[in-house]
Amino acid sequence: MADLNTKYLGLTLRNPIVIGSSGLTNSVKDIVTLEQKGAGAVVLKSIFEEQILLEADWRMKKAEEDGLLYTEYSETLDYIDVHIKEKELTSYLDLIREAKSKVMIPVIASVNAISSLEWISFAKQIEEAGADALELNIFVMPFGFDKTCTDNEQTYYNIVKKVKSIVNIPVSVKISPYFSNLGNVIMKLEENGADGVVLFNRFASPDIDINKLRVTSADVLSTPPEMANTLRWVAIMANRVNMNLAASTGVHDGEAVIKQLLAGATIAQVTSAIYKNGPEYISKIVNFLSDWMDDKGFNYVDQFRGRLSQASTENAEVYERMQFMRYFSEIK
Amino acid sequence: MENIIEYLKEERAQDWRNELRKGMKAKERTSRIRVSMPEEDPDVRNKSRIEVNIGLAAENAVLEAQRCIDCPDPTCITGCPVGINIPKFIKKIEAEDFAGAAVTLKETNALPAVCGRVCPQEKQCELNCFYTVKLKKTPVAIGHLERFAADWERNSGQMAVPKTEKLNNIKVAVIGSGPAGLAAAGDLAKFGYDVTVFEALHEIGGVLKYGIPEFRLPNELVDTEIEIMRQMGIKFKTNFIVGKTASFDDLKKDGFQAFFVGSGAGLPRFMNIPGENYNGIFSSNEYLTRVNLMNAADPEYDTPVISGNSVAVIGGGNTAMDSVRTAKRLGAKDSMIIYRRSEAEMPARIEEVKHAKEEGIIFMNLHSPLEYYADENGRVNRMKVQKMELGTPDSSGRRRPVPIEGSEFMVDVDTVVVSVGVSPNPLIPKALANLKVTDWGTIVVDKDSMQSSIPEVFAGGDIVRGGATVILAMGDGRTAAAGMHKYIQEKIKAN
Repeated sequence: MADLNTKYLGLTLRNPIVIGSSGLTNSVKDIVTLEQKGAGAVVLKSIFEEQILLEADWRMKKAEEDGLLYTEYSETLDYIDVHIKEKELTSYLDLIREAKSKVMIPVIASVNAISSLEWISFAKQIEEAGADALELNIFVMPFGFDKTCTDNEQTYYNIVKKVKSIVNIPVSVKISPYFSNLGNVIMKLEENGADGVVLFNRFASPDIDINKLRVTSADVLSTPPEMANTLRWVAIMANRVNMNLAASTGVHDGEAVIKQLLAGATIAQVTSAIYKNGPEYISKIVNFLSDWMDDKGFNYVDQFRGRLSQASTENAEVYERMQFMRYFSEIK
Repeated sequence: MENIIEYLKEERAQDWRNELRKGMKAKERTSRIRVSMPEEDPDVRNKSRIEVNIGLAAENAVLEAQRCIDCPDPTCITGCPVGINIPKFIKKIEAEDFAGAAVTLKETNALPAVCGRVCPQEKQCELNCFYTVKLKKTPVAIGHLERFAADWERNSGQMAVPKTEKLNNIKVAVIGSGPAGLAAAGDLAKFGYDVTVFEALHEIGGVLKYGIPEFRLPNELVDTEIEIMRQMGIKFKTNFIVGKTASFDDLKKDGFQAFFVGSGAGLPRFMNIPGENYNGIFSSNEYLTRVNLMNAADPEYDTPVISGNSVAVIGGGNTAMDSVRTAKRLGAKDSMIIYRRSEAEMPARIEEVKHAKEEGIIFMNLHSPLEYYADENGRVNRMKVQKMELGTPDSSGRRRPVPIEGSEFMVDVDTVVVSVGVSPNPLIPKALANLKVTDWGTIVVDKDSMQSSIPEVFAGGDIVRGGATVILAMGDGRTAAAGMHKYIQEKIKAN
């Protein structure tokens, strides 16, 4: 039987299937279930500043509606967002501690570092709480029209450098594909100390309901076709950086995991598929991988990892082909 | 409500009120300019504990009382949480019956000298004054007049002890001796109950003593009010923590039939930023309690606070103003407010901000602390602050503070006081398993009776409101006393 052991961010995983940061990893009970069903590791749900501000707003509104709670000169409500943040952070640290005491698989914490430096300092507390690694979920909204793309990119590097200077645990960075020179950014993240990069962040998207004539949210879960872009960049970067590459977005089954590993990914993060099919689905993916390896005669994951990366494959140009001209020109 | 309106009408129709109204035309009254509260010189007062506001002289009080036109519909009363008959007490001052004014105040307010000093009248009675609402002029100085009448009574040496019903020997407990507890105790004593007030600290007065500095509310004045309550038969037990020193069951075995919980919101909050545990960083609760109640300003005492040379107070509320002005009085060269929004968003009263500025307090608005640093002994010596700008408004309409990237800089400090709010005291909720509490940690009560989920337990003040003004807490105490009276009497009838 194939050995699925995988080294990711210096941690030993029993297999390369990692449950991505989401509501699936928000409670110890669920994390225990994910371990029981075969997950190689979990990335805890990220704390988002936006979420805290929304809760602060909601609590403020509730307080004002309440006939008894005092809001007029309240110092407490003046800092309600700070208090909610403190509560959230405290319960997040509790989640790490408790999860670490209940499961053997690595527990990777996740911090959404969009704005202030105070979130970076939280990384130290995450380390002290026992997290095995930290995934920094960074996205700088490109709304500052006076800033160049270099300025924006520098923010990513600064965050990584700063976090690496205050923690000893491995740090990976989850980024979006929206850079003018993505490959260069990934290499620079490594230069600034990142131990891994997660490709890619998936954003909430708008949609329009043409019957009700209103703007709605698009499906929050990914679909298998979305994996192609991740596959492309994993393959392109696999031999260009030494750090680990984690494939995320659109990885929905065992076949997709194998493709990502062949392209050069160290691990694959699976989330939407578990939402759709339940934690039991993890073992199906693991078994599919194991059976495939047996079938192909691979004893270890490293025997085939990156075999079809851009640098290793014969038709490397496929990964760089963006236009469909030749394809369409051949259609008669 | 109809009864109250009828009562007010009858009171207004009394001859002496009619005479006063006829004595001066309304136009003449409304053309007068509001009197100013005389204040101590900022450079003198910021080096001592003397009270900032001196109080009105009698002739000025009468002049101000003449501004009140004695409206047929006194909207000012609707703004008062304890429903003081405001026109009546003001007209008593106009008639130079100062003792009568004090008696009127005490009909519904056990602590008028306190409320005259610390109530935010600009948001309550004065906000609803005819001058504010209709004439768009500065309101009658109701707060100043309240203080005048109460001070006059105290200085006259003829303080009236409110009448009480004959003692009925039914024991009731009041937990906490702050404004809510004192107001409840006063009314319960008036109903004839055998009232015992249990106080966790060694002094009676709760937040009036430990929270509000002497330069705003002299302790002596609170003690005088408490002495009157003692004379009403109320017993006080200090250093007694209900739930620890004795349980509710112990007290029930001792014969206590009902309880009023006014244990306040004494649990300080912090910001959870790096270095917040270094020596020299206090919560405002601790800092003010040490100074106000434990003589910490005196280096000869066991637990002094170090008089910092450079003191930073984090926050923009009234407690922050009390802390920063206290630091100045303890000798700080630089005593500064660090507040993340602008002055317009500060929750502190305008008067407190004005006084603080006069006294040389430095305001670093639109700044927020990021991290504290310490010397080799673990004593805070520097802090990193970040500049902020105001972003989009939150649900309350105030603009959110947003950090300005790259704007961080260091400030030398040797004392930091964190004043970013408090949580309700958790001791009582922890001691009573069946007591319902909200997400905020406040006790759930029926707002008409202040009765909790445990029938014999009533509550009010900060433990219900999360944070309240003195007068709101007192209003709760009075409502609860009425609720407790009803509950006990119905229980007696049922048996």
